[in-house]
Amino acid sequence: MIAPFLLLLLAADPAVLEKGKAEEKRSCLPCHGLRIVQVQRLSRATWERELDKMVRWGAVIKEREALMEYLVANFGDDKPAPAPPLSGDGRK
Amino acid sequence: MTRRRWLTLAGAAPGLLVGQDKPPVFPGKRPMLVHNDFPEDLETPVEYFTTWLTPNDAFFVRQHLPRPRVTAESYKLEIGGIVSQPVTLTLADLRRLPQHTVPATLECAGNGRANYRPKLPGLQWTKGAIGNAEWRGPRVRDVLARAGVASGAAYIDCDGADVGVAKTPDFIRSIPLRKAQHDSTIVALEMNGAPLPELHGSPARLIVPGWDGASWVKWLTRMTVSAQPDGGFYMNPAYRMPKNPVAPGTAARPEDMVVLEGMAVKSFFVMPAAGAKMPAGAPVALSGVAWAGEERIVRVEVSTDGGSRWSDARLGREDFHFAWRLWNFDWKPARPGAHILCSRATDSAGRVQPIEPDWNPSGYLWNAVDRVGVVVEG
Repeated sequence: MIAPFLLLLLAADPAVLEKGKAEEKRSCLPCHGLRIVQVQRLSRATWERELDKMVRWGAVIKEREALMEYLVANFGDDKPAPAPPLSGDGRK
Repeated sequence: MTRRRWLTLAGAAPGLLVGQDKPPVFPGKRPMLVHNDFPEDLETPVEYFTTWLTPNDAFFVRQHLPRPRVTAESYKLEIGGIVSQPVTLTLADLRRLPQHTVPATLECAGNGRANYRPKLPGLQWTKGAIGNAEWRGPRVRDVLARAGVASGAAYIDCDGADVGVAKTPDFIRSIPLRKAQHDSTIVALEMNGAPLPELHGSPARLIVPGWDGASWVKWLTRMTVSAQPDGGFYMNPAYRMPKNPVAPGTAARPEDMVVLEGMAVKSFFVMPAAGAKMPAGAPVALSGVAWAGEERIVRVEVSTDGGSRWSDARLGREDFHFAWRLWNFDWKPARPGAHILCSRATDSAGRVQPIEPDWNPSGYLWNAVDRVGVVVEG
């Protein structure tokens, strides 16, 4: 079992977060946009379950730990939810 | 993923691969609240709900899977399973059947999910994953009659032209025969008098009045008459609710999860907007919408003091089963200061909007008494 302080060290490492951000693009974008990921605010356990589901649905995640740290650091359930942006006018 | 699929993705989502700084634009839509660029998940801003019919260019969009391209010329609807004779119908065949107009409200099961605590995965809809339109097309009953429903039939498994990406399951919904054969259940070819827009399932989608949006299968291409509901993800475990409420943050046993069908009783304010300022002593028109799934709205009450005292609102003249009702209430605020306005609907089955609905593991059916804070200036 990994000691909690080790996870904190991982999370604090900007290189890990950068790697996680790149992994988000690489593993999620083939099937869907990133906004649906980034508007959510979930606990670590719920993010783990979401990643499990996406793997079952065919996502190929190579850097899972870095992706998890990136998700928890930016989109954890302790963060306020963002207001969805307005699209441009598509009637023309 | 094939090269062609990649090209399709890139083509469907210009700008997606080069960053998200510029707001995306969706063909035929006014500015909408973007929950996802691709596939498109777009919420209607509440201030657009000023008319009984929600215009097509303002109607919310929820896609599970990438939008397929189906042309009127290539469109085919296959009907098979427990039938006398499987048939394949074209759009012209569907147009030749008697056409019926059904005004009906469409709401995503997860509308309001953003309000549940603990927070849940899924689209973080607030109020606007709902809209009301006039849908027109042949009855499902008449369509099925072309193949002849045989004995032993209990469900219609409905599949659209959209397909899962990678190993994402295909989107298939099973509608019990009794609901599929209801007078108001139709295959819509038109929405508010126009051909069904591409974002809304052109050229043909299912209309299942009063039921969750997931049942209203878009780009409908196959109806398989069967004895059992489809066993795929979108019938189980998705779109199910615990038979009895569970403690927030906990799971129910799989055998206690039941398929979501009719929607809840609900109302909300359209005017005024949250945070609006208004002068004391001058009349203010409060207005909103209310609907009740398969039931009818019989009453909407408004409170201007945070829910202490309630008065009846006036219901709008458009009164159709399955369609929402407009309501309005005249208020003359006497005292300056902050006020909490509340709306609460009651339906023909006696259901009343709760102060807070039961938390459930997928965050469906949010229908709390609506609360809007405003400031009266002295």
